[in-house]
Parts: sequence; C-alpha cells; structure tokens
Amino acid sequence: MSGVSYLFLFFPIVLVILLVLEACRSDDPKSIVKRAAANLGVLTAVLVLGGAFVYVINRWF
Amino acid sequence: MNFRFSGKAVLIVLGALFILVSLFMKKGERIKGVAFFLAWLVPGAGHVLLGKWKKGLFFFLILGATYAFGMWIAGFRPVSFDDNPFYFVGQFGSGATLLIAKLRGAEKAIIRDGLNPSWFDPGLLYVCVVGLLNLVVMMSILDVKPAEVAVTEADVLRPAAAASAPPMAPAVPAAPVPVPEKPA
Repeated sequence: MSGVSYLFLFFPIVLVILLVLEACRSDDPKSIVKRAAANLGVLTAVLVLGGAFVYVINRWF
Repeated sequence: MNFRFSGKAVLIVLGALFILVSLFMKKGERIKGVAFFLAWLVPGAGHVLLGKWKKGLFFFLILGATYAFGMWIAGFRPVSFDDNPFYFVGQFGSGATLLIAKLRGAEKAIIRDGLNPSWFDPGLLYVCVVGLLNLVVMMSILDVKPAEVAVTEADVLRPAAAASAPPMAPAVPAAPVPVPEKPA
C-alpha cells in the first residue's frame, strides 16, 4: 500500500484546482464548494473506474 | 550586429511596455492592469486591489498552503531545471514562487526524510500547479466587470460628506393648475 500512497495526493491537488477554477467563475461560496465537490466526485469515479479497467485487463487478459 | 538578450533586459522592456500601455488605458481599465500585475506578484493581491478582498484572501491562502505543502515534500527546495524542466517553468506563473526559487538558487530538491520516495514527483507538481493556477487567477481579474471597478474607484474618490448626505426625495409630480373660466 505504501508503494501507491502517492495516489492519496490526488485528492488535495484536484480539490485545490477545482476550488480555484470555480472561485474564478462564481462569487457564491456555497455553489463553489458544491460544484467543486461534485466535479471531484466525477473525476475520482473516472480514476477508479479507469484503474479498475486497467487492472482487469492486466489480470485476466 | 550582435544582440544579447538577458533576462533582466527582457523584464525591463516588458515592464516599460506594461506601464506605457497602462497609461493609455481608460481609468476603470487602468486599475485592472495594475491588479493584473499585482496578482502575478502575489496570488490574490489583484482581487484585493479591486475590492474583492475575501476572494483575494481565499486565493492567497489556498495557493499558499498548496505551495507550502509541495515545498515541505520537496525538502523546502524549489523545483530546479534538472528536477523537471516543465515543473521548473510552471513556477514562473507567480512572482512570489519565482522569487523564492531565485533566492534559493539552483539547489536540487530532495524528498523529505520519512516520506515515501514516490511522493517526490507529486510534491514538485504541487509547486508547479500553484504557478499555473495563479495564471488562471490573473486571467479572472480581466473578467471583473468595469462597472464594479468604477464603483470601487468612485467610493475611494467620493468625499465623506457626500457619502453621508441623505438620499434625495423622489420628485413629486406638480398638481394641475386650475384654469379660471372666462366670462362669456
């Protein structure tokens, strides 16, 4: 697990990027946090699904 | 002819061009130019200048924390060209990060003791991303509506007496004047 512990650094940096990008286009703090969290969820899902797909391909094919 | 370009000369020429262009800008736009430059120097400072101090503080804190975290991973040494040329250039997005990199010199970043070596590259990425995000923050200054800027300038220039004066009463339409009847 410690070999891939750097993957945990994905969450803070993506959250920072999304928060800054949302803050640039909106003035409402609630909507900034809401949209950033939603986009973080989507990106995390894409990462997890992509990782699972690559794992399955490498494991079984 | 032999032309020699140094970094300082390019910076001086760019600075002179910036001041020249700023002088010919409209009043509302000129403060935006200064804010744009200030935002490069210190993340969030441009927004503070335009009166959006909450947003400026937010940008400063979030980008500062990210930079500090990246530097902590990399042993408080900025990204050198040898570490990663792309991450090195990314630092130029902010004057503060560039200044720190210049002050620290060409020291090579090293992973902090006790951390997994695989954290090293993400640490450099954190430092680089701060510079790149600051470019986005600078661009967002251009989106601030001129009306908001004008209001900010007017607030600064308005005398205190005028500000405290009660608002004018709405105009009341005049009553129709009765026309005297003429005798036949």
